[in-house]
Amino acid sequence: MIADGQKKYFDPKVLAGISNLSLRARWVVEGIMSGIHRSRSKGFSVEFEEHREYSPGDEIRRIDWKALGKFDRYFIKEYEDETNLRAYLLLDSSASMDYSSDGMTKFDYGCTLTASLAYLILRQQDAAGLVTFSNRIENIIPPRAKRDYLTQIVHALENHRPGGETNVGRILEEIAGQIKRRGIVVLVSDLLDEPAQILKGLRLFRFKGNDVIVFHLLDQAELDLPFEGNILFEDMEAASLNVIADPRAIRQTYRQVVEEFTSQMRKECHDSSIDYQLISTSTPLDRALASYLSWRE
Amino acid sequence: MSVFFLYPIFLFGLIAASLPLLIHLLNRRKLNRIRFPAVRFILMSQKRISRSYRLRHWILLALRTMAVVLLALLLANPIFQTGAGLFAGGGPVSLVILLDNSLSMTWSGDGIGFKQAKEAARLLITSLGDSDRAAILPTSISGKEPLRLKLEKDVLLKELDQIEIADGTANFSIALGKAYELLGEPAGQKEIRLISDLGLTGWDNFSMSSLKQVDPAIPVKAIRVGRKQKPLNIAVKEVRAAGHGIGVDLPLHLEAVVANFSDQEVKDLLVQLSIDGQNRDQKLTSVPPRGDTTVPLQTRLSQAGSHAGLLTIKKDGLAGNASMHFGVHAQDQLRVLLIDGDPQTSLVQSETFFLTRALNPAGESDSSQYLPTVIVPEALSGTALDSYQVIVLCNVATLPDAFVSKLQNYLRGGGGLLIFGGDRLQADHYNTKLAPILQSPIRDKKQGLEATGEKIGKIDLTHPALQSLSDNLLQESIKSARVWGYSRISASGKSVLMSLANGDPLVIEHRVGSGRVIFITTTADRDWNDLPVKTVYLPMIQSLTNYLAGGKRGLLDGGISVGDVKQISLPPGYVGKTIRIAKPNKQPAEVVMNAAQERAAGSFEDNDVAGIYQLALTRDDQESGTPRLYAVNPPFLESRLEEISERELQAKLSPVRPDVISIETLQQGGTRRDLALPLLGLLLATLLLEGWFAQRI
Repeated sequence: MIADGQKKYFDPKVLAGISNLSLRARWVVEGIMSGIHRSRSKGFSVEFEEHREYSPGDEIRRIDWKALGKFDRYFIKEYEDETNLRAYLLLDSSASMDYSSDGMTKFDYGCTLTASLAYLILRQQDAAGLVTFSNRIENIIPPRAKRDYLTQIVHALENHRPGGETNVGRILEEIAGQIKRRGIVVLVSDLLDEPAQILKGLRLFRFKGNDVIVFHLLDQAELDLPFEGNILFEDMEAASLNVIADPRAIRQTYRQVVEEFTSQMRKECHDSSIDYQLISTSTPLDRALASYLSWRE
Repeated sequence: MSVFFLYPIFLFGLIAASLPLLIHLLNRRKLNRIRFPAVRFILMSQKRISRSYRLRHWILLALRTMAVVLLALLLANPIFQTGAGLFAGGGPVSLVILLDNSLSMTWSGDGIGFKQAKEAARLLITSLGDSDRAAILPTSISGKEPLRLKLEKDVLLKELDQIEIADGTANFSIALGKAYELLGEPAGQKEIRLISDLGLTGWDNFSMSSLKQVDPAIPVKAIRVGRKQKPLNIAVKEVRAAGHGIGVDLPLHLEAVVANFSDQEVKDLLVQLSIDGQNRDQKLTSVPPRGDTTVPLQTRLSQAGSHAGLLTIKKDGLAGNASMHFGVHAQDQLRVLLIDGDPQTSLVQSETFFLTRALNPAGESDSSQYLPTVIVPEALSGTALDSYQVIVLCNVATLPDAFVSKLQNYLRGGGGLLIFGGDRLQADHYNTKLAPILQSPIRDKKQGLEATGEKIGKIDLTHPALQSLSDNLLQESIKSARVWGYSRISASGKSVLMSLANGDPLVIEHRVGSGRVIFITTTADRDWNDLPVKTVYLPMIQSLTNYLAGGKRGLLDGGISVGDVKQISLPPGYVGKTIRIAKPNKQPAEVVMNAAQERAAGSFEDNDVAGIYQLALTRDDQESGTPRLYAVNPPFLESRLEEISERELQAKLSPVRPDVISIETLQQGGTRRDLALPLLGLLLATLLLEGWFAQRI
């Protein structure tokens, strides 16, 4: 359990004050890890990764003698750690993720969550990869179990700005086609797309034997519609989609609509053995990580 | 059934009813823009609630508008009233009852109109609550009376009992003005109730602009005292003297003009004349519908001085003022000043001998109605002409300038002048000095022999001065007369009353101011004619004298209307004195006389009762012919019983909109309900409902 004093580690408002994403991820993970029993990673294996030329000081036993026979030069065999987990972290970077009513945007929250997950995974010597997408795949970093791989992931997250429209369902299908090995797929998105399309994509991951965790990120304002007065709502992705509404008049119905949407997603995910977590950006990050850890255990 | 407001100024608050709509429209214009990711959810929500949302929205708008309207109405405090409304509920009332006590109320409601009106006023007073205040004002008030609203009903009822029919017309300007003045201060419900027959006459000269203050918010209700059937509506319109002058023992010819206001002819109407309370003459007459009839009446006054006259019309079922007071001021003897231009030591040979005998045949001072005084021209300067009704110049050669001036003033004041020609008369002097009086210049003198004298050719018997000569005997006498000497003058047309056979004028007439001048071109004695020895001479001289004295002899005074101011003019000796006046109701009154144009003048305003007003004068003044009484009559048109219509009344009282209700409606009663409490309940319910809806939108 998390002690009260440690809750500050996960408060989105506190985290928003930490500009360095890597530091933010470590802050979160160290915070949560200090509160739980540390466990060793499951299983160990080595997997050939590449050759490099021998240099003095290298262990003699790691020289590839077959290569010496072929090329008449000394090569050292490089192995990477063989893990029992490959995690694909999929982060929605469409324009709708750039929304914040108070504190962190959904994208910043998603970045922090993704980086924290990557740190946690890599810390446990598992492989973590990153895919950012909008209506197309923006960036792909294949899963690796290297300790210093976090830097690469964080660098990619930090240098990416949200934009473009969402097409979650199609993108998921595209990503599923590129994943060769089974693992865990973590989707961080506001899922503002057609539910059927999204679920179709998620089910494709499951079909290929992946475990899937969906972090459905929504701003608290998207859940509550707390505005007052007559408002012209302009859609963040589709410029032509504008609507004038009195939030007070429609609030109750709006909440029903959102509840119906999230309920549908939750049910459909549950039916497909997909772990679904609805997370408000005002929710401390430990809940998101706890969800992952519970799955991990 | 009606609704009125105690504080109608708050009805302007109804304008605020548009505020919710304006706020709604302004809010629609003031849009906040928000970039939002989940617009699709908003769209879905809107689609889902669209119809019910709009309905609730409009209901909310209607509720808010209704709340503002109800608040404005609540502050204006509406009162719902059915029937005549006898102040049941609705808070303390300040009421002014205007009771029409004009003369026309005598005939309203078949003679019980005024009684009904008082009953209605009594009903209103007894219907007042303990905290209500009221005042009762007769429409005959002068406006000077101290008036106030009173709580005490018994005092109000006592005041009501004391109100009697007045002889005058209702003065609605003063009464309404006083009502608004009384209701100016108190807050709460205010009302004016006018109980009247709504006779047209009282409203003839009414104008709202004459009122100092008007409050259109104060409801005015006119309670009409109605007539059950249309009566014979008739009244004495005028009385006037028909003869020439009013003297003692002379025939007094009067004309009474009777007007018929009804649509049917009035037959067998008895018109009676009484002088000093004694019946003198009466006639039966008929008056056409909507027309007038002039009735001639005759009497003879045996005493000089002022007499109280009364004309009365009598017939069953008449409505309207049936009598008319008037004053008759009779002169005793006609004082005639004879100026003898050719006096002789022998009386018979004097120029005025025959003339004197014609005016006073017996030669005694009290045996004739004429009192001739003979003087010579030299005595003219010391003679006061105003003491004489007629002045006769007999063959006077010339006149002093000062006398000519006095003579002109005398004539302008209504005096009579008779000029006889003669051999001494200087034509040039008359043509120059007396030109304004004589008007027709004297050309020359014509003298002949008696045997060749001219006959009198034409005589205008239609002229009032010569009408009395129409008798055949007198005509024969005229024809037998001869004129052989006369002054020839240039005159023609109507001014020639008598002419000779040769066409030369013998008697001509002129007017100077209101005075009359007759010039007889021949002599007053037998020097140029034989008329003095003819039968016609005496009646002709007396007739001419009567005619000439007409403007100065006696007076018939038709009087003034009730409420009018009487201007009293007395000899200069009364300047600074107070004259006592006895009113018809025996109430004493006084008037102070001030100097005005060599006379004593005073104004008496308190002419509120019809009848004869007696002035307390000394015997000398009475004998000198100064009137010692005057008559006051109800306004003639007060007898006209036509009513003002409701529309005309509303036009007269605009911007006030009076309701006209019948006395029967008042007697049936009515209820009054203060709508403030129900409105407050409705307002609270509306606000609660608005709050409930607002929570659900």
